[in-house]
Amino acid sequence: MTAFAQTRRELVIGMAGTAALAGLSPKAAAQTKVRLVVVGGGFGGATAARFLKQLLPNASVTLVEPDTDYYACPFSNLVIAGLRELEAQRFGYDGLRARGIDIVHERATDVDPVAHTVTLGSGAMLSYDRLVLSPGVDFIWGAIEGYDEAAAQVMPHAWKAGAQTALLRRQLEAMKDGGLVVMSVPPAPFRCPPGPYERASLIAHYLKTRKPKSRLLILDAQDKFSKQPLFEEAWAHLYPGVIERLGADDFGRVIAVNPAVRTLATDFENVTADVANVIPPQKAGEIAQRAGVADMTGWCPIDPITFGSALQPDIHVLGDATIAAPMPKSAFSANLQAKLCATQIARVLAGLAPEPTFLANTCYSYLSDDAAVSIAGVYTNEGGKLKSVEGAGGLSPSGSDPVIQGNEALQAAAWFRTITEQTFG
Amino acid sequence: MQAVSAALGVVTLALLLAGCGSVPSWPDERSAAAIPALDHGATLSLACSGCHSPAGGAIPSLEHRPAALIRQSLMDYKAEADGTTVMHRMMRGYSEADIDAISTYLARSATP
Repeated sequence: MTAFAQTRRELVIGMAGTAALAGLSPKAAAQTKVRLVVVGGGFGGATAARFLKQLLPNASVTLVEPDTDYYACPFSNLVIAGLRELEAQRFGYDGLRARGIDIVHERATDVDPVAHTVTLGSGAMLSYDRLVLSPGVDFIWGAIEGYDEAAAQVMPHAWKAGAQTALLRRQLEAMKDGGLVVMSVPPAPFRCPPGPYERASLIAHYLKTRKPKSRLLILDAQDKFSKQPLFEEAWAHLYPGVIERLGADDFGRVIAVNPAVRTLATDFENVTADVANVIPPQKAGEIAQRAGVADMTGWCPIDPITFGSALQPDIHVLGDATIAAPMPKSAFSANLQAKLCATQIARVLAGLAPEPTFLANTCYSYLSDDAAVSIAGVYTNEGGKLKSVEGAGGLSPSGSDPVIQGNEALQAAAWFRTITEQTFG
Repeated sequence: MQAVSAALGVVTLALLLAGCGSVPSWPDERSAAAIPALDHGATLSLACSGCHSPAGGAIPSLEHRPAALIRQSLMDYKAEADGTTVMHRMMRGYSEADIDAISTYLARSATP
């Protein structure tokens, strides 16, 4: 908190100094705005831009995002399984623009944390008083031998939604009945911990209803996984004989692939797939490394009260890129962290100290077209450390109750409508 | 509010040092706009608006609900030991004082 207060003083003094050095007229100096730059237009960054502008209407807020269309990852597993159209995942930035946020459709290629500048792909530079980085994840190409960007065109990851989502769906549609689908799941941490198992459930739903002689094999670098008892119960109940999973203890970790013949190698065997979905190991988005906010793990340590970087001043980091466990890398987490970060920045600029609060998370996972389960968590950031609140949170009940799971599927759909409207609307 | 006044003093001083004779309008406007949205109830309630909105459908909107009604619903979720919904699981983590702060904030805020 002391460091944060000091940063605020530096910000104020810095602004004054800038005006003086530039020889601005009193009128121009009076119009000097706090410059807030957000990099990354996903659930973290877009939400941060919106709430910063809402809380600080006189600040200049710039959102840097290369793509004009954003394809949401939550619900994209339904697209892969043919239960939803990709178009329903597409969001744009007109809503944020209408709120007075400057949208710059370029890639941020570098950050100078000392000069307080962001370099764009065009070579242009943006100066900031505060920078919010929400870069999501990047893949560690080559961590699985043979798996690079070219291989992903044959064995899609579909772990960033859009063209990859459509590709995996087309491959499933083109596969013969009786085919073998293989999924490779990376070691934790990765974006959306229950995501691979929701995907497995929905692919199994597609196979059962459309290609019933086909099978799904999950080669998993993890032993235990999110919502495991609920997924395993659903697989036995809904898709008996369709899904087989080999965890790390069963030599399930994929160490190499050969896209030319669609084989995946573990320490124990080579498997030839008709459709292969390889979810690669992950790290914070590249700009985090450039900005010096990622540590040796490849992820970004933060102060969970402000989501300020633990490594660089005046930079905040949100969402999947952060080390925020036990908060998972989820859209809900990124959206909430963004709102909290914006609030704390506004508090500091209003002369209030950042204050601890409770955070929460909810993740729904579909088991089939009309059944879902959830995990919830409540977290405290008291003392600058994120901890789960004991006695709170946890999983939906076991027992495959169709009423409870049907209600959770409807709640999941409501959640998606609300969070995407809050983020992009 | 004392802290706010002090901060505005710093801004004023800084701008005077910069050769600016008058206080810019934005600190006053900004502070006035921002502070009601920055209290303890407001930060606690940030977790609600990811799911609850008029757009929701199966998840009810919290707009235009009196504080007493919100408070009673949240306390019921907290108390029902055999409840299975996300709200039951979440509210077990919040104290009665937290629930009071959340209810008060949500009731006075049209857009939580």
